[in-house]
Amino acid sequence: MDDSKTLNLNVRKDFPILSKKILEKKDLIYFDTAASAQKPNTVIDETNDFYKNHYSNVSRGVHTLSVESTFRYEDARKKVQKFLNARSENEIIFTKSATEGINLVAQTFYEKFMQKGDEVILSLIEHHSNLIPWFFLRDKYGVVLKFANIQPSGEIDIDHFNSLFTNKTKIVSLTHLSNVFGTELNEKAISICKDKNVPILLDGCQSAAHLKIDVQKLGCDFFVFSGHKTYGPAGIGVLYGTENLLSEMPPYQGGGGMIGDVNLEGASYAELPAKYEAGTPPLVEAHGLGIAIDYMNKIGLDNIIEHENEITKYAFNKLNEIDFIEIHGGDNKRNSIISFNIRNVHSHEVSSFLDVEGIAIRAGHHCCQPLMKHLGVNSTARLSFGVYNSLEEVDKFVIALHKCKEFFNK
Amino acid sequence: MNDLINDLYQEIILDHGREPRNFGECEPYNKSADGHNPLCGDNLKLTFLLNDQNIIEDIKFTGEGCAISLASASLMTEKLKGKKIEVAQEIFKDFTNLVSGSDEDLKVLNEEDSLYALKGVGGFPMRVKCATMAWHAFNQALKD
Repeated sequence: MDDSKTLNLNVRKDFPILSKKILEKKDLIYFDTAASAQKPNTVIDETNDFYKNHYSNVSRGVHTLSVESTFRYEDARKKVQKFLNARSENEIIFTKSATEGINLVAQTFYEKFMQKGDEVILSLIEHHSNLIPWFFLRDKYGVVLKFANIQPSGEIDIDHFNSLFTNKTKIVSLTHLSNVFGTELNEKAISICKDKNVPILLDGCQSAAHLKIDVQKLGCDFFVFSGHKTYGPAGIGVLYGTENLLSEMPPYQGGGGMIGDVNLEGASYAELPAKYEAGTPPLVEAHGLGIAIDYMNKIGLDNIIEHENEITKYAFNKLNEIDFIEIHGGDNKRNSIISFNIRNVHSHEVSSFLDVEGIAIRAGHHCCQPLMKHLGVNSTARLSFGVYNSLEEVDKFVIALHKCKEFFNK
Repeated sequence: MNDLINDLYQEIILDHGREPRNFGECEPYNKSADGHNPLCGDNLKLTFLLNDQNIIEDIKFTGEGCAISLASASLMTEKLKGKKIEVAQEIFKDFTNLVSGSDEDLKVLNEEDSLYALKGVGGFPMRVKCATMAWHAFNQALKD
């Protein structure tokens, strides 16, 4: 490796799990951030501190602990609002996951704005979490789903996408950054939706920690992401929606915290954002997400992006030189994710082999079975990077890949 | 090379993974089931012919998967062909105990068996499902 190029954010020390030895001797190389990111000390310590010193339920009591908990919960909402550059805190709904956010939109948007025969446009590269909630609408209510094709580069075929619109198209839902290819959504897809006045939901699970998100500049109507992929705790997700749409759509679940006034004949509902947050929310996890956002801001999103782009490019070029490796998607700009196969070796074998070398990668269909069928593969191996990775780790990975190939083709 | 990897991928596993035996569909068959690992997308179809003495006359599989799942299916068909169904069920129990690292004593399998080569899967808990997919399909076919 060319030392002059070494780029390192020097944050590995912030992540206690990265000092773990795999099988008691191998340094951990964590290349599975796209599945879930590791947690920095600040997130771990602050969530512990919440339980030890401040914990109570939110928005329900008047005692000191209730105030402290509510303050932390709502402060996290402010941090998320700034992180996404939403217009108002009312546009930030805490959910338990990004998946729940998509289900929430599918169900409540349908209820308010759709009927049998109306159409939803998705694409072939969507994660199951951006397919199945819409399948439910098809199965239960007779909604028609249309799927945009993809190009060999891994990008959505914009012309085909454009051709899918009819006067029955009511909503579009697309991934902002593909969890298989690492390709970013072409902005044209959003502007087409704007031109046709059709709301668009962006699945930001992979983009939130790896791109700078500005929902106003993007022009999306909904945006979801999860806490655990952005260095925060699992069990917390975010749904951003424009105040107009969220105000018009009905509540998703009923329960405590989402009501205005209740009598036995009926109820009125709370204002945004509480309207969509029935039941005790994942308050400590929300606080943890706020701390994770602080952490990313401290490093600087620009630095994170530059760092990850350099590693991704470096790894792509290294893998591209190897004749027994097949990379999925084009050589276009990709962010933090590379899917590949070793010819004639199943991705499970690659992952198990690398595991004993201390290297964690994902193997499988990545919750994208329709895409795997389109690619004509059963599964792929996937590398994904985070703030803690380095070029040296990529070098070690490449050496291990050669050993792996040798082992299985001996 | 790491011992764990060598235990997992013994020569016989790699061999059966590359060239699975009894690959195809029985003609005719009277029992069948699909195996599927939803976590990774691996899948297979198992067919077999059970005669009136409850003996597995023929058994084959098709499908796609990793070396572990293919080798396990391949070795299973070799082992079960010609066996009485009661014996096959004992082998099924032994095999699932063997690969899941259970302490239970094996009743019909021993270290001489080719299936014993899959014991190394116990060191990789996430791969146990790869090794048992074909076996669960077999068990399912008996229930249907």
